[in-house]
Amino acid sequence: MVIGEDGQLYTIEGFAAALIMILTAYLVVNATSVYTAGDTHISDMQLEVLGSDALKMIGTPVNTTMNSVDRSPLTEIIESNPIDSDKFNVTFFNLINTKSLLDPNRFIQYSATYTCRNINDNSINSVPIAYSRNVSGGEHTVRATKWVVVSASAPTINSNCGTTAAPKRAVLVEVLLWQD
Amino acid sequence: MARLNDGAQWIILMGFLVSFSFFFLAIVINQSTVVGQTTAESVIEFPKNDIRDVRDIIIRNTTVSNQTVISTDIKTISMSRKNAIVDYSAYLNNSADIHYNNGVTIYDEVWIPR
Repeated sequence: MVIGEDGQLYTIEGFAAALIMILTAYLVVNATSVYTAGDTHISDMQLEVLGSDALKMIGTPVNTTMNSVDRSPLTEIIESNPIDSDKFNVTFFNLINTKSLLDPNRFIQYSATYTCRNINDNSINSVPIAYSRNVSGGEHTVRATKWVVVSASAPTINSNCGTTAAPKRAVLVEVLLWQD
Repeated sequence: MARLNDGAQWIILMGFLVSFSFFFLAIVINQSTVVGQTTAESVIEFPKNDIRDVRDIIIRNTTVSNQTVISTDIKTISMSRKNAIVDYSAYLNNSADIHYNNGVTIYDEVWIPR
């Protein structure tokens, strides 16, 4: 008996076409969940905003009228002698970790310093404030900064930044933030 | 001349079509890995917080006596820690001229108190 076997070829071709279409649909659907280089920047951005907001919160005096003489917690910490690292650590660490306090593996770590100008030779000094963990260099850190005006007569300011008759000095608080 | 069997031409043509479409899809997927990178980079590089912060400290301290020390502080530290040129003048009526330039973004403001 002679059987026409053209149909077999068409069937195989049909299967091949179906496979190609399914594979295409699979690739297209999966393309939306590719973790791209741009996405890492998005988490950096969020971390930076979080750090800036936290610094802004502790850098805001209780009485916020313009040209207020009221001092912010951050000003008090920098002016204290020796620098009140514990106060900064408790306040700042809790602020940046309000979302992740329940899961210690997701803590956001930080290292904070302030930078001032030495009035004698115009050099720049960085003074440590506090850190939740040492920066070893392997972390992927972002930086958040905040300008703070402090009293020029504070002893720590005098020893790190020189003495002056002017009443106020400006220092820059810099915080490196990263996630474990 | 014998009759040519030209059935294979169709198969080869379809093969070309399929491989071209795969090539096209590969390009699409390849490009999808850099989607959003430029956007995110320009957002993260725009010194929004820097400008707000330096503006805030300048405006808050227009009434401080002996402006020279505090303005030299701000200018020197901005230059060395933020790679930004900051210049400002505060006047007796507490208004201020503020200039900020980090090489990419320039910001100028004349601030007048209400």
